[in-house]
Amino acid sequence: MIFTSFNFLIFFPGVILVYYLLPEKYRPGFLLLASYYFYINITPVYALLLAGITVSTYAFTILIDKTKAEKKRKLFLIINIIITLLPLFFFKYYNFVNNGVFNLLQSAGIRWPLPEISFFLPIGISFYTFMALGYSIDVYNEEIKAEKNFGVVALFLSFFPILLSGPIERATNMFPQFKGRLVFSYKKAVRGLQLMLWGYFMKLVVANRIAILVSNIFDNADLKSGGSLFMAVLLYPVQVYGDLGGYSLIAIGSANVMGIDIIPNFKRPFFATSMSEFWRRWHISLISWLTDYIYTPLSFQLRKYKIWGIVIALMLTFLISGIWHGAALTFIFWGVLQGTFLSIEAITNKKKKSFVKKHNLDKKKWYIFISCFFTYLLFAFSEIFCGPINSMHKAFFVIRKIFTNFGGPLYYYNPSMIIFILFGISLLFFVEWRMEYYKGAFSFLSNKSWVVRTLLYALLIIIILLIGVFDGGQFIYFQF
Amino acid sequence: MINNLKKKVLKNLLLKLFVLSITLVLLDFIIGSLLDIFYFRQESGVLYRTTYAIEKTKEDLLIFGSSTAIHNYDPTIFEKGLKMSAYNVGNDGRSVFYHYAVLQAVLKRYKPKIIIYDFEIREFSKDQESYDRISSLLPYYKKNPEIRPIIELKSPYEKYKLLSNIYPYNSLIFTIGIGNTEFNKKRRGDINGFVPLPNIWNHPIDTITFVNRELDSNKIKIFESFVKDCANAKIELFVVCSPILIEPDYTSNSEMMGEKIAKKYNVNFMNYSKDSLFINNPKLFADIGHLNVEGAKIFSNIVKENIARVSKSLTKTGNQ
Repeated sequence: MIFTSFNFLIFFPGVILVYYLLPEKYRPGFLLLASYYFYINITPVYALLLAGITVSTYAFTILIDKTKAEKKRKLFLIINIIITLLPLFFFKYYNFVNNGVFNLLQSAGIRWPLPEISFFLPIGISFYTFMALGYSIDVYNEEIKAEKNFGVVALFLSFFPILLSGPIERATNMFPQFKGRLVFSYKKAVRGLQLMLWGYFMKLVVANRIAILVSNIFDNADLKSGGSLFMAVLLYPVQVYGDLGGYSLIAIGSANVMGIDIIPNFKRPFFATSMSEFWRRWHISLISWLTDYIYTPLSFQLRKYKIWGIVIALMLTFLISGIWHGAALTFIFWGVLQGTFLSIEAITNKKKKSFVKKHNLDKKKWYIFISCFFTYLLFAFSEIFCGPINSMHKAFFVIRKIFTNFGGPLYYYNPSMIIFILFGISLLFFVEWRMEYYKGAFSFLSNKSWVVRTLLYALLIIIILLIGVFDGGQFIYFQF
Repeated sequence: MINNLKKKVLKNLLLKLFVLSITLVLLDFIIGSLLDIFYFRQESGVLYRTTYAIEKTKEDLLIFGSSTAIHNYDPTIFEKGLKMSAYNVGNDGRSVFYHYAVLQAVLKRYKPKIIIYDFEIREFSKDQESYDRISSLLPYYKKNPEIRPIIELKSPYEKYKLLSNIYPYNSLIFTIGIGNTEFNKKRRGDINGFVPLPNIWNHPIDTITFVNRELDSNKIKIFESFVKDCANAKIELFVVCSPILIEPDYTSNSEMMGEKIAKKYNVNFMNYSKDSLFINNPKLFADIGHLNVEGAKIFSNIVKENIARVSKSLTKTGNQ
């Protein structure tokens, strides 16, 4: 069951109705049942995997918490990390590593093939694995006490709004909510519904529409002009934003309706003026997870190398981020690219800051615009390696064609396509621009007048009905 | 006191949701009705061709198929050669689901004498797009009950989604608008449904590879129904595989299945996908899968002559 399916439109109101009709003490239990039903509805057998990781995380965190000896605590943590990562490795990286080792051995004249596996990647595995790891490390670091109520841990790892594509939540935020009072809040419910509505707009009107054009161009890259490929490269980040950003808003919104707060995942990323700022606004829950559990400990360990310690930590963190996205050379290269961008910024940061301050550039609109555009361009080009193009050869072919064969007809599918894309992007950017630069003045869905609000809700739903793409299929991040 | 407050808040929320629902229903009804009026008012363009195929065809010979049908078969050649009226009801990117729905709508009104079914090399390949594209039939759901089972193949919830008046016209607002203009009549000229492609293929052809995909049992079943319904209505059916530019290095599993079904119902199956006249002859193609105007002329003449040669109905009526 995915958020854009008709089933979800029946499932969600049904869950909300039963949830609030039930006495408060039964609500967490009901949410756990609903979450497992939600997951079983996609691939029943993989619910066992989720349950297995839950049992292991629960047991080992209790053991870590109870144990005094540091060596033993560390051993329990390492065992749990291995158990938690094993399914992810098996489903996501086995074939990649197997092929790599096979090719390496073959080049040394040794032929030792292991069988390939052809299972579907369990949806959400990368997300709940990171949540489980984060919780175990938090218990080990004594940031949080191990939870004794198994139901709370199980609900944390399976909570249906965030189960499939995040945001990657933290136990420190979720446990107190699940253990506290789950009561109806008018403000939260309304805000949640607003976020869901905007999320559906982002996914159905923006992302799914762009996806048709972009995949059509990339799938036939050899027949399309460099100009068309450049257009697809520029559009793809907006597609991903509409997709994962939209998903995140629906997730956060649906949790809000149940009175639960979820951490934000995006903060108007295309208004970032540098790559480091961009990564503070894009897929925030993943980046903050990587920062807390990889980058910070690494840069602390490497502090004696000063700026070069930071560079190494950045490179390694984004390498892991690339590998997290997928088992392919393209994703690894993407991670290296991001690490390189951020390292260059880290090295030149002081000089850049003083230059900007000296010329008062950060107040100048043209400078902000150029910085935003340049940041967007860097990210868009790096996404060639993290998007629908799944081979290094094809990715470089696309880049080469953009620079050497830009001319030729611009492929736009049909006139409706380009009009709908422009409309969707314009509305999205207009709303975000208002939120970014006119804080407090954003009254799109929060207008003081109830009549205006009602009309705007209705209008947005009508727009989705009129130009949304309902057959757009899965969310991009289900594959990660 | 707290309970009263809670009840008041909940009542307030429910009231607002009720007002929003009423607003939505009203807007959906008004906008949907307007779209319906303007959709069926079109007299040209891609959407009109579907309306014509479903509601207005009266020709003796009909050509079914997807883009290969539209661009490869010139009905005027069949009209002149076979002395009967002909129309190309092909539609870009459509599958056997669409073709069968059109056949059902046609059979409800009259029985054509001859049907040519353009059979694609990947006719029965399993792909989600074929189901998604059933949406082009949504505007006809209410008026044409005979096509409803096909539409419901898209999803079991389709009948509920169609409670919305806007939903059948999803993504069509701009096309409907253009379709109601005089400009559109000039822009999308077709000759009895045939859309000639003027360009000549001038790209390298050695980079394309074909792969056999898994077959879709729904598509096979529907195709068999198509053949059976033609046989029951005593319509002479010709299943024709169009030429392609590059000879595939494998035998298409769809073609094998299609031929088997055609044989079962004693239907003519003409395969030009490996015809030496067309293979590796880019001068006759606009792209790898579609003939250009010159190629279509040659191909239509070949098909017409073969039909004239083997047709039982033509021999009986002396139409030749």
